[in-house]
Amino acid sequence: MSEVSARTGRRWRVSRRGFLIGAGVAGSGLALGIFYGIPEARLAIARSLDNSAAPGRVEAPPDVWFEISPADRITLYLPKVEMGQGVHTALAQIAAEELEVEWGQLGVVQASTARGLRDRTGTASSNTVSSLFIPLREAAATLREMLRAEAARRWGLELHQAVAMDGVIFRSDRPSERLTYSQVVEGATDWEVPEDAPQLKPVREFRYIGRSMARLDLPDKLTGRAVYGFDVRVPGMVYGAVARPPRLNSRLKRAAVGRAAEQPGVVSVVAEEAFAGIVATSRKEAYDALEGLELEWEEGGGVDQADIIRLTTVQDGKGVVIQREGRPAAALRRGRIVEAEYRTPMAAHAHLEPQAAMVDVRPDKVVAQVATQSPDAMRDALAELLGRPKERVEVTATYLGGGFGRKLVVESALEAARLSAASGRPVHVGWNRTEEFRHGSFRPPTHHVLRASLGAGGAIQAMEHQLASGDVAFSLLPAVAAVVMGADFGAWRGATIPYQIPHRRARSQRVELPVSTTWWRGLGLLANTFAIESFMDELAVESGEEPLTFRLNHLGEDELSERIRRALIVAAEASGWGERPSEGRARGLACCIDVNTVVAQVAEVSLEPRGRVRVHRMTAAVDPGLVINPDGVRAQTQGAIVMGLSSTFLERVMIRDGRVEAGNFDRYPLFTMAETPEIDVHLTGTGSEPYGVGEPPIGPVAAAVANALFALTGERFRELPLVLEG
Amino acid sequence: MEISINGDTYLVDSDPSELLVWVLRDELGLTGTKYGCGIGLCGSCTVHVDGVATRACITPLVAVADKEVRTVEGLAETEGGLHPVQQAFLEFQVPQCSWCMSGQMMTAAAFLSRNPDPSDEEITEAMTRNYCRCGCYARIKVAIARAAQLTRELP
Repeated sequence: MSEVSARTGRRWRVSRRGFLIGAGVAGSGLALGIFYGIPEARLAIARSLDNSAAPGRVEAPPDVWFEISPADRITLYLPKVEMGQGVHTALAQIAAEELEVEWGQLGVVQASTARGLRDRTGTASSNTVSSLFIPLREAAATLREMLRAEAARRWGLELHQAVAMDGVIFRSDRPSERLTYSQVVEGATDWEVPEDAPQLKPVREFRYIGRSMARLDLPDKLTGRAVYGFDVRVPGMVYGAVARPPRLNSRLKRAAVGRAAEQPGVVSVVAEEAFAGIVATSRKEAYDALEGLELEWEEGGGVDQADIIRLTTVQDGKGVVIQREGRPAAALRRGRIVEAEYRTPMAAHAHLEPQAAMVDVRPDKVVAQVATQSPDAMRDALAELLGRPKERVEVTATYLGGGFGRKLVVESALEAARLSAASGRPVHVGWNRTEEFRHGSFRPPTHHVLRASLGAGGAIQAMEHQLASGDVAFSLLPAVAAVVMGADFGAWRGATIPYQIPHRRARSQRVELPVSTTWWRGLGLLANTFAIESFMDELAVESGEEPLTFRLNHLGEDELSERIRRALIVAAEASGWGERPSEGRARGLACCIDVNTVVAQVAEVSLEPRGRVRVHRMTAAVDPGLVINPDGVRAQTQGAIVMGLSSTFLERVMIRDGRVEAGNFDRYPLFTMAETPEIDVHLTGTGSEPYGVGEPPIGPVAAAVANALFALTGERFRELPLVLEG
Repeated sequence: MEISINGDTYLVDSDPSELLVWVLRDELGLTGTKYGCGIGLCGSCTVHVDGVATRACITPLVAVADKEVRTVEGLAETEGGLHPVQQAFLEFQVPQCSWCMSGQMMTAAAFLSRNPDPSDEEITEAMTRNYCRCGCYARIKVAIARAAQLTRELP
């Protein structure tokens, strides 16, 4: 990866349709960039990245999207980060489709924040492919049309007589006469962007979209060449370490340099109000020298797990109503009432690359390389912290060794910035595992109260889901958002009731905790689906109905219901749902809708000696709309299921005496290969529009397993992680 | 102190108690070996010491004196080539974020050199102390079986 190279010397001008054309630099070919503005492609990009439709001010340099080099290599600069979800490859497929190039011609480079557009959402919420699907194709098709027009002009032909294919433009009347894209670029100086938006290919003509193209990032990752945030090395770089509080919420009252400055390797010492750290020539020296600081901490509250649970409790009838159909209040006083409550704990992201950043605070500018899901948010945060103009802060995202929501805001970048400002050197801060556990931010704990009214014949007449959750999205928004919204929309993912029940209501209550909580893969999805889909299973039992039929009976005739029905049936059939499982085993079913993607899963389990649960097989049906890369969707589904199983059986962040109990994986184990079941993934998506795949498949995992355990034991498990008695 | 890594000899002036993972990464720039937990549990830092899979985050520099260290950068026999384990991981598109994968591959390569024709159970037993947070376990398992086959087919 490298920084945007197109900044030097290239002359940019804005075309009538508002694209940016850069040319005139010897040997550097043509670049097509895109800015805010009125034309459709730009606007769509501006909307998807900036979350706004307003044309903005042009801040040079531009957002480079494609660059054609003389050797016919085409580089696609992307604002979205690669953290294992395969989006660089998926986006390259989408671009190559309209560009009409050979697959091997297209390379992908992570753009720094020096591009013009703002990617306000970061790489999160499974929206990368869905938000860029149309804008990226329009940009690619526009570039292709410009190349065709130039070739036609040179040949003295009409546009339709210049045909683009595999990185070459040939004459339709004399196909042997052809120019490669770079040959077209070479002779041309005066580019114009076509007036009309280009025609996009219909789905039936796709040749890259829908194919399992190999991941572009894997060759470097498998040979150790890929650079992650923890791997960044620049000349003159030194290492930083930061003093940590003894307890959650204990603040630094007084800090003095003490003996720290005399410790071996120490370059500089920062002892300020509320922040103390060391810069040294090695990581070990920096951490060792922390001992030399004289620090006085506030006691901090002795919060315990019981406090977290007490705070995370639904107050009946409180909170923000996020779904209301019919007249739920009245309907929930009639018929046979069924109630149940569920709990999920705090959990760690446990990305195996701890957070890390290199920041170089120079007199004239700030340069940072950060393992972050949101380079633009990091740029703003660094600019604010350092009191520098945003244009003088450039952040480049590295590869991420896992993100899962935790790397939207990377504290180590802010710490490296403070230490670099103090020492005048580029500083790398990479947290150790204990810092991640003890001073991190977690998936919020949740509590759910479900209530339903069953009518004669077992149909659900009314259903209510009341949810209490620690903050998710609020953790990254200005405090005013919490005041305006009242409850956290991040907690709502998967919280509404998808079944066609006449009277429905969902409520969300905000819980303020003494522990930092934040985004986690799928946000509230795993917890909410665990509650709703376990409860659906309980209602099926109450109604005396088989769980699959019971769910199908509560689906409507609309398109979404149809997609859920198809996913449920495909997962059920592939799992052998209708047949008896082998002796000692049972199956459970669950489904969810998230970012418009539908997922259904069947878990097959048995009990082993000493009350251990064995998951033998997980069968999943996933409908993410149009599939860009089938193997990529399978990989995301397999991975989300393993992460979901880890949460189902093992993971719980416990608080004792104001501290996170676990300081490493010895007290917080993750799922391993030995526990991993066979995972069978079926893609049921159709249509012409892709939805998200990074998070949705984690939704049904815990509910499917808990429902299977009920089928096996007759015992209902309403709390994660699932712990069997005895 | 002199240490031998991937067939080259390096003169290192780090303290002999410094951990191998940091010497490799921060002193020698061999960042293919990853840090994950620092207590030898997650396996991300696995390298070979005299052919034995070893967790570099709990191995002091002094422990590798007079020994041959191999890292992911030197896993392939030839410059620009791939070890059968790397080939198989590429063929099955195993990694997601890939932070753990150097350790997975080094563990697998050492295992296959002792057991060139393993059963699925033996693969699982050999690999189950390496965490993969992205959950690529099923692919790791089939890729190792494939790597064993590729190795057996080598001339």
